[in-house]
Order: sequence, then structure tokens, then C-alpha cells
Amino acid sequence: MKNIIELQNIHVSFDGETILDHFNLNIRDKEFVTLLGPSGCGKTTSLRAIAGFVQPQAGKVLFEGKDITKLPPHKRQVNTVFQRYALFSHYNVFENIAFGLRISKTPEKEIKERVHEMLALVNLKGFENRNVAQLSGGQQQRVAIARALVNNPKVLLLDEPLAALDLKLRKGMQNELLRIQRQMGITFVYVTHDQEEALTMSDTVVVMKDGLIQQIGTPEDIYNEPTNPFVADFIGESNILPGTMLKDYLVEFEGVEFPCVDAGFGENVAVDVVVRPEDIKIREPEEEALHGVVETVTFKGVHYEMMVRSANYLWKIHSITCREPGTKIGMKIIPEYIHIMAKEAGTAN
Amino acid sequence: MKKHLIAVPYYVWAVVFIAVPLLMIGYCAFTDASGAFTLENIQQITKYWPVMLRSLLYAAVATACCLVIGYLLAYCMAQQSERTKTVLMILLMLPMWISFVLRTQAMQDLLDLVQNWLKAAGIDLQVRNNALAVVLGLIYNYLPFMVLPIYTSLEKLDKRVIEAAEDLGANRFNVFRKVILPLTMPGVGSGIIMVFVPTISTFVVSEKLGGAKFNLIGNVIQEQFLQVYNPNVGAAISLVMLVLILFILIIFSFLDDETKEGLL
Ligand SMILES: Nc1ncnc2c1ncn2[C@@H]1O[C@H](COP(=O)(O)OP(=O)(O)O)[C@@H](O)[C@H]1O
Ligand SMILES: [Mg+2]
Repeated sequence: MKNIIELQNIHVSFDGETILDHFNLNIRDKEFVTLLGPSGCGKTTSLRAIAGFVQPQAGKVLFEGKDITKLPPHKRQVNTVFQRYALFSHYNVFENIAFGLRISKTPEKEIKERVHEMLALVNLKGFENRNVAQLSGGQQQRVAIARALVNNPKVLLLDEPLAALDLKLRKGMQNELLRIQRQMGITFVYVTHDQEEALTMSDTVVVMKDGLIQQIGTPEDIYNEPTNPFVADFIGESNILPGTMLKDYLVEFEGVEFPCVDAGFGENVAVDVVVRPEDIKIREPEEEALHGVVETVTFKGVHYEMMVRSANYLWKIHSITCREPGTKIGMKIIPEYIHIMAKEAGTAN
Repeated sequence: MKKHLIAVPYYVWAVVFIAVPLLMIGYCAFTDASGAFTLENIQQITKYWPVMLRSLLYAAVATACCLVIGYLLAYCMAQQSERTKTVLMILLMLPMWISFVLRTQAMQDLLDLVQNWLKAAGIDLQVRNNALAVVLGLIYNYLPFMVLPIYTSLEKLDKRVIEAAEDLGANRFNVFRKVILPLTMPGVGSGIIMVFVPTISTFVVSEKLGGAKFNLIGNVIQEQFLQVYNPNVGAAISLVMLVLILFILIIFSFLDDETKEGLL
């Protein structure tokens, strides 16, 4: 598949403060890409660079291979669903959605058809004459989406579109957004700080921190093979502990040698080891080489969360069975669940 | 109960300085010097139709000019950095700290100065004592009353709504026409009222800059009270003006925002 958007070596700074640095991102046509990262890491800024509201000091923005870095927002074939909607309060629902069509001087009959099509798409039939201020948050969100989609953009940019909605509504809207993306067959670039949202919705996740891309990959890649402790920690919960790569496919941590699936780190190299809490199986102490003592148990609904102390590390374990605090247990970790990360320069622990 | 008590001074104020004078004007307008009821004062109004019409015309022209200049000024101000905004705001307000009469006198002297220069340069052009000077004086004096409400509504405008319009393909002109202007109509409305109402009844500006030839209705009323000593006719004219202005404002407030935009 070809790239519809390419960000090449983008550099953005405000008042001398670097916001985005060496930002390289290729977005393929019809892909659902999510920019994920903590608040203030530059997600909105990257989206605004694509939309044209931010002029990068260096680097290029390509759209279908053409350089659009200098093109003003109103000439770009992308549309945005803004954080907190930014609807036109002086227009009703119909006129909000029709805005883009009126600008392009579309015939009245076609405007009517297109707006009603959009209203059906976002499940707002019969709302055309409503005042936008009278709509609920979820309904305003739908208007914002319909308004952005009416121009048939090739790319839709969505900046934390669901952040202001409550949990239940958010789940429903996630599914609807996916449905809309499939139905329209266009590219979505989605911004969120919610890792679960990113993992469930995306084809590709871009994890960001302090204006730098940490990792780009499928949700499975990001979850199972985080490239550094930040990603591992940000995406779900993790046990991250120091270890030594003895040789290819063999790692040592907490005084125990484990077979693993990673290679190419060299021999006797210090590394970080990542194990997800749900990937540790509880066994009898005599069955396993790695032992620990249960310190606390918390019921979390679907599973129990146990904190288990081994020689030098306090493990977090998720399990549907639980052991009393004080119990000595064995911990089984199969090779596929052991993720090895090279130690980052300057973060030795 | 407490709220009512706090409002008492205001009620007293309103009765003493608003209701009583209005009633007195009403009373005077329909009585003669001896206090007997008469319609003669009101009937005299016909004599002053031309002046009234001129007042209306000048006020309308001055308001329209203030609107155009004021909107541009407010728009430019709103684009500036916070520091520049403060400086511009002080510059705009500074002349208003000087007495209205003094300001207009200064304008008269300035125009006379220009007149002398023109004469020295051999150009025969009347710069004072004409309609243009009066309207210019009105614009100069009342411009801040137009700028302030428009500036306030521009400041309140959500910048993201403007970006949303650009995002949907609107160029600068369309952003202005379809988003900024409609959303600042409340400011435009108060600006128009705050300029139109005082300009239609002013007498200082026309006296200083118009000579005797370009009297406005304010001058006539002042004349009746202070020179001719006929407060009954003065009151009658005031009453008619009051009703006229009220009528115009009511019509104006009944127009919806779209029609107002159309008028602009
Ligand atoms: N117009 C601006 N002027 C100055 N600083 C800005 C501007 N826009 C964003 N920033 C700064 O850039 C950083 C990244 O912001 P943003 O892209 O909005 O992050 P995110 O969307 O990931 O929360 C923040 O520290 C923010 O304060
Ligand atoms: Mg943001």
C-alpha cells in the first residue's frame, strides 16, 4: 500500500522550546493510525502539522507524494475533528455539517443529500434543525465528525475525540468510529492518551514521549515487544527489572536462568527484562526455580492482583486464582513472554 | 429580602434622576407657560423636521463610519500580542479621560490651524463649519464606544472555531463572513446603539465644528431651554426625539442577526 501522508524529519519548536524533533512518520492509505503518548508529548502538534495549523521549522509534510508543507489549512485535503468539537454555535446541526459544502459552492440539492447521508452515518437523523448548544457531548461529537467527513477527505484527523465522554459512551463511540472508517474507506489519524483505546482501535500505534517517537508498530507489536522501558510501562502494566543476556536465547534475572526468544544482544550484556503481570503463572515453589512470597492481594474484578517479593524485585502478577499473603509460590514464565530490551544510555538502574 | 435592600439606593436614584425628569418632560410638553393643557408645543414640531432629519442622517452616517473603522480597529487590536493590546487599549481610552467639550474645542482649533495653512498655500477650501466637520467630530468622539464592545466580542471568540472553518476549506474572507462576523454580531449591536443614541442628541460637536449653520436637534432643544426660555417646546421636541429613538431601537432589536449581517 502506498503512503498517503509522510512526515519527514519534522522539527517544531515554540519560543525556542523543542516540541517535535526528528519526527518521521509514514501513514498508509486507509490505515487507522493512532498517536499515543502522555499529555504534552506533542500529539496535537503533530496533528496540526498535518492539518497545516503548525508550520514546522524544518522537515517536510507530503500528501500523496506531493510536498504540502507550505500549503495553508484550507487548501489541504484533510479534515479535523477538534478536541472538544469547536462547533459553530451560530448555526444549527444542518448548517454545521453543510459548512464545507457551502464553502465549495455545492448545489443546494446536493448539499441536502450529502448532509442527510452524513446524519445517517453518525446516527443523528432528525436532528438537523437542533441548536448545537442543546446537544449532549456525544451528539456534539457526532456533529463534529459529520462536519469533517462531509467534504470527503482522504484523511480524517481526530484529536482525542472521545476524551470528554464518559466510559460507557466512549466504548460505544469507539466501535462507531471504526465502523465509519471502514464504511468511508479513508485514513484515520487518531490522537489519544488512552493506551487501551489505542490498542483496541488501531492498525498502527505510534508511541510518543517528549516529542520523540518511541515506537511504531501494530498493537500486538507494541504490547508484546516494547522497544524500551517507557513503552513497556506506558502500554499496560509491566514488570521491568534488570537482567543479563548470557548468550543468544538465554537470559538471567533474579539469579535464575531463563530460555528466551531474543538474540543479537551479545554475551553477558546488561539488559532490561519486561514481563507482563498476566504472563506469570503461579505454581508450587518446588516446581519452579523462581520463587517469591505473596505480600498483598487485591481483587480487580476480572482477576486478582498480587504483589510478590522475590530476592530483589517486587513482582506484579495478575491471575484468576489467588494465594493468601505470606504464601511462598513458584513463578513460571515461558520464553515467549520474556521481552528483552537493550539498556538505554543514561538510564542504568 | 437582603437583595432588595441593597437595590434600594438604585431605585431611589432611578426615581429621582430618571423617572421624575421623564414625567416632567411629559408634563411640560403638554402644558403652556401657565400650566394649562395644550397640544401647541407638539404641533410646533413640524418646524423642526428638517433639523431632526439632519440629526438622524448625521448620526446614521457617523455610526456607519464608526462601525467600519471601529471593526477594523478592533479586529487589528485583537490580533496583537497581549502587550501591544494593552498599549493600544490605553491609547484608545486616553482621549476619553479628557473632557468631551475640551476635546471638541481642540478639534475646532486644529481644524482652524489647517484652515490657515491651506489659506497660506493658496487653497480655498472650507474645512470647518460644514457637514463633514460635524460628522468627523462625531466619529472622532464616539469611535471608542464602537471599538470596545466589538473588541470584547472578538476577544471572546474561540480561536478553534476559526481553525475549524479554515479546516473545512474557508479562506480568510469566508472565515470572516461566515464565522467571525456572525459570532461578533452582539458586539456590533451594542456598538451601534452606544454610538447612535448619543450622536443623534449631541449639541457640542455641531456647535463647535458646524458653526451656526449645521445645527442638530440637540442645539434646538438647548436653545429652547437656555436662550428662548421656552422649556415647553424644548420638552416637546425632547419627547418626540425620545419616542423616535425608542422606535428605531425597537425595530433594530427585532431584526435577527442574519438581516443585520445583510444590512452590513
Ligand atoms: N502554540 C503554542 N505555543 C507554545 N507552546 C505550545 C503551543 N502549542 C503547544 N505548545 C506546547 O507544546 C507541547 C506539546 O503540546 P501538544 O502537542 O498539545 O501535546 P499533546 O497534544 O500531546 O498533549 C506542550 O508542552 C505545549 O505547552
Ligand atoms: Mg492534545
